[in-house]
Amino acid sequence: MDIKNENFDFALVTDEPVSLTSAMGTGSDNDNTRGMSNWDDMLVRVGRDRDKDAFASLFEYFGPRIKSFLLRLGTDMSLCEEIAQEAMIMVWRRAETYNPSQSGASTWIFTIARNKRIDRLRRENRPLPDLADPAFAPEPVETGEKTIFRQQEEEKIRHALKNLPDEQAKMIFSAYYEEKSHREISDESGVPLGTVKSRIRLALNRLRAHLDEPEGIWKS
Amino acid sequence: MNEQASFNMQVLDALLLDYATGALSLPLEVLVETHLAMNEDSAKTMNMLMKLGGVLLEDSDPVSLSEGALENVLKAIEQDEEQQPHNSKRKIDTDSALLPRPIADYLPDRNNSSWRRIGIGLFECDVVFGNDQGRAKFYRISPGTAIPSHTHTGTEVTLVLQGGFTDETGNYGPGDIAVQEEGGEHKPVADNDGECMVFAVNHGDIRLTGPIGRVLNLLVN
Repeated sequence: MDIKNENFDFALVTDEPVSLTSAMGTGSDNDNTRGMSNWDDMLVRVGRDRDKDAFASLFEYFGPRIKSFLLRLGTDMSLCEEIAQEAMIMVWRRAETYNPSQSGASTWIFTIARNKRIDRLRRENRPLPDLADPAFAPEPVETGEKTIFRQQEEEKIRHALKNLPDEQAKMIFSAYYEEKSHREISDESGVPLGTVKSRIRLALNRLRAHLDEPEGIWKS
Repeated sequence: MNEQASFNMQVLDALLLDYATGALSLPLEVLVETHLAMNEDSAKTMNMLMKLGGVLLEDSDPVSLSEGALENVLKAIEQDEEQQPHNSKRKIDTDSALLPRPIADYLPDRNNSSWRRIGIGLFECDVVFGNDQGRAKFYRISPGTAIPSHTHTGTEVTLVLQGGFTDETGNYGPGDIAVQEEGGEHKPVADNDGECMVFAVNHGDIRLTGPIGRVLNLLVN
């Protein structure tokens, strides 16, 4: 039986700026964060050199964003602060396992914060996928090409997200920013469950289609 | 794609999205995680959803951390600098050794007394996930066994762990997810090529979010 799927990596793939704020109606312009795959470099430095300055930079950028992300999910203020700090401690501890050809710093940090939050909120603890687990690290090979491909995918996701029809984008934002299950989105918006599900499917299909576009050219 | 298949795909995408955002109850989380280890397409979708999370995190407006947060964290990392990351041990027994880790941790050995025979060639075993986490069961079905037609009281999500079965809606093999809606009726027959084992979760509305989060969500909305 084929049970290990090498393609599945929680720490997989990415970051890169480009403001989504207009799409989300949250205000400020993110242009000052452009050209920022240096988050990846910093995370590498933290892992490889145990570089505290690089860590401090990551902390100053991502700490407040993890907190804001958690606040949107309706998590209590002091708990958000705690989880954000714990997540960043985890970033330090796990940084050695970070591989930029597999994932961008922001995705990697997102998965860590996600797991931390689940750990804290769940009454019953269960080991969550370990980012350092070899089972979750598909190809150890690091190549510049792969890293570029990965960053490109990130751009495509941003682009696709901005171009989703409103009703589909709303499903995605409700899911990530309000942490609503598809059932709750339905209950609270009055949109029938079947419609919510089909919109989610349409949205994901669009995103997947963007990633499958051949214009990626980076495949050799 | 027939109607049921397309319905299954919709539910699957909704579950994958819920998994990515951390909105699933524990049994469904375990189910999805196991599915991910067995299905390449879903694994790709999950990678995409995690990327999406990274994009959204990176583009969030910041909310300042408390004063001294960085110092706090630096102190913590200095304290544990001597500690080595530990490698978690995997438990090995006859059945679970063949399965992906998330589910293997919950599967009792086949001689365990929690397995009950509930029909000819049909065994079930409750999986305990703690309070209010929904109902979950493992089923083992001998090759070729036909399960008498039955209906479902809630929506049920079933993941095939090994072997396979066929019902009115199609054939399901290892890693496949089948969804039975509330009131749905079906008559599955285990495939002939080996024992079929599945993990079934009754899809409740219970989620993992703590009480504080829930109350705040209600206020915000």
